[in-house]
Order: sequence, then structure tokens, then C-alpha cells
Amino acid sequence: MQKSTILYSIISGFLVLIVSSCSSLNVVKGYNPVALETTAFEVPYFSSPETDYVYKANITVYGNELSGIFIAKKINKTTHRVVFTTEFGNKLLDFEISETDFKINSIVEELDRKILINTLKTDFRLLLKNSYVIKQQYDNQESRVYLTEDGKINNYLFISKAENKLDKIVNASKRKERINLFFTSENNIFATKIVIQHYNIKLRIELNYLQTQLN
Amino acid sequence: MRIHIPIKNKYYLRMKIKVYFVLLVLCICPVVSFAQEQKLSENEIAIFKHAVKEVSKKIKTLSTDFVQYKHLDFLSKDIESSGKMVFVAPSLLQWQYKKPYNYSIIFKSGKILINDEGKKSAVDVGNSKIFGKINKLIAGSVSGDMFDDKEFAISYYKNKTNTITRFIPKDANLKKYIKQIELTFDKDDATVIQVKLLESSEDFTRIVLKNKVLNAKIDNSIFNN
Repeated sequence: MQKSTILYSIISGFLVLIVSSCSSLNVVKGYNPVALETTAFEVPYFSSPETDYVYKANITVYGNELSGIFIAKKINKTTHRVVFTTEFGNKLLDFEISETDFKINSIVEELDRKILINTLKTDFRLLLKNSYVIKQQYDNQESRVYLTEDGKINNYLFISKAENKLDKIVNASKRKERINLFFTSENNIFATKIVIQHYNIKLRIELNYLQTQLN
Repeated sequence: MRIHIPIKNKYYLRMKIKVYFVLLVLCICPVVSFAQEQKLSENEIAIFKHAVKEVSKKIKTLSTDFVQYKHLDFLSKDIESSGKMVFVAPSLLQWQYKKPYNYSIIFKSGKILINDEGKKSAVDVGNSKIFGKINKLIAGSVSGDMFDDKEFAISYYKNKTNTITRFIPKDANLKKYIKQIELTFDKDDATVIQVKLLESSEDFTRIVLKNKVLNAKIDNSIFNN
């Protein structure tokens, strides 16, 4: 890399830092704080132990596209089994994941990178998390927003008022949005489409529900 | 004199009987399944291999519908998908899923062409040995002719209606992806009717081939992405 480009990146990096620290993060702009109606929220989308959740996955990472099949199943009260395969059926990774534990059953050599595994671990935990404790509530005409805290990280859950459905989760630090999850659900039992959009790295995961029994 | 068995011992005895019973069932079961599936004799192997080679020699083109069952032990049901496969000898291959998604993959002179719901991409695998092997393996699985003793440890079995061959890769790299390949042949016409790829003892992919058409004219443009 040329010297000038390095200098430019450093300066612009600092600029971004200064600007972002001056303007505090406002995920709930346009919403009014209201009294808590409830202290807990349950997400239904991956909660049934009877259901095999199978999705076609399309992943865009730094301009590269990958695709495959994403499979999740709740195997006990706290834990989900998550498997990612190619369209042919070869297993690429196989995790067991709960809010506190994480186990790798298998992973192909090509994907066995710490940074990748940690990213997926965060994403899958967010995606599969069943219940939240609500700290604050905000409102506007269409939606309620529940603020939940997880250490230094906040999760904002956007719930449509009309259908009482979870539409979006904003995962953010005090200053910056890190990940957004967008859910589309017709029945409020499972999600037909999910988009996991990262903002600190160039990563987007799109999941589309598959009807896996033919006829 | 009456022998008094304490209740605790009675319970223990009953449990013991149960355990023996379970063991007995377990011992009988493999015998039953082995009775259905017999190893081929050396002579039968030679005849079978000859028949398959004769059939696959005559294959110029082959197209077939398929249903794929992905079995993962922790799921309640197998994941089903289906589509069509077209093979033109010696090495053009199109594998096309139509349900529940549109996805096709073409193996063509050192390239893999992918069409994922209209999104097209190509991977150059000209120098990749592993992809060369996978390509050969898929073509071989469908035509049946993959009796390469250098590449696989092969075993042969039969039941009432089918001949079953099991291939265990010798190449360590290939073995990482596939533990065992099992081809089921129709006894009458020596063509493959089922391909089973085992990843572990619990997880496998089973592909059932049906409506097979041999040597029909294939428009080569289907191998363009």
C-alpha cells in the first residue's frame, strides 16, 4: 500500500471516530420512550423442538458469493444444532450452540478460521436466541421497540404493532450499529426470509425458508 | 423350605432378564440383515463388473430424474430435493435441482459453472486434483463404472433385486469429504438406481435415480451457463 493511502485511511478513520463519537447513536430516532408493558419477549422463529428449520443460504462476503443450505434444530431447552451444507448435501460445518456454550462437531478445513467461526457464533446466537429481558420500551405509530442489554451490547427488537411480529433486531454497541437482522414471517411461527446484515465487516447472509418435503 | 427373594433382588432379576432379552434381539438382528444381503463370490464379481462395463461403454448420453434425501441424524425428517441430471460421455455433466430451489452445477472441461436462481458464476478447477476426482466420481456413480481399485477399497453384495457396491476412498483428501460411496444396481440391466454418500455413520445423502434415458440426443447448449 502507498504511504499516502495509509495516511488517508488513518485520517479518515479518525474522522469517522470523531464524528461518530460526537453524534450519539440513535437507533430509536422517531420513537418515544414509554412505560414498559412487559419485561420479557419470546421470539418464536426457532423455538420449536419439533421443527427442522431448513433454509437456502446466500452469503456475500467482501464481494464473494457463497451459497448452501442452513439447517437449525432445537435439540434441548438451551441448545440448537446448526449445520451448513452445500446444495449437494456435503456438510461444511456442524455446531452446537447455546447462549453460554459453543461446540464444534465438525468443520471443513477451508472454513476452519477463528475469525469466521467467531463471526458465525455471534450471528447464530443472535438468530437463535429465544427470550429477551426488556430494559426499556419505545413506541411510534407502527412499531414497538424493546431495548435489551447483553453486557456492553444492546439489542433493539422492532415489533410491528399490527401483527405483534418481530421484524428487526438491531445489535449495537453504545456508538455503532454492528449487525441488523431482518425477519419476514407470514404466520409468526417461523420466518420465511431472514437477512443478517453486518456493518463493521462486509458480510450479508440471506436465508430463505425451504419446503423440504416434496409432493 | 421357601426361598425368600428380597424385593430389591426380584427387581434386579427382572432387569437382568430384560437386558438379556435386549442383547438377544441385538444379536439376532444383524443375522437377519446379513441374510438379506450376501457377499458376491469372486466369480460373481467378475461377471457383474463385466456387465456394468459393457453397459457404461455403450453410454454416449444419459439423462435421468433424481430425488435426493439428505439424512442428518438429529433431524425429524430427511431433507428432500429433486431435479434432473444429464451426462454426455466422457465428462460433460449437468446436475440440476428444480425443487425446492433452482440450482444447477455444470462440470465442463476443468470448469464448474453454477447457476443459483439465475445468479451465475464459474470456478476454474482445471488444476484442482480433488475436483477432478469428484467430477470423475459423479460421472462414475451415474454410469456405474468406477471400479478403480487404486482409488477405492471396493466390496460387493447382493440382495433379491439389486447388486450393491461399496467404495471406500483411499485418497486421504477425498476421504475427508466422503467416507463411503454406495451404488445400488438394478440386477436386470446393470445400471445405477441409487447413490448413497456417507459422511459419517449417522449422516448420509441418498440419491434415487429414475426415468433414466440412454443415448437420446442432447443439445450441448445446456452445458453453457
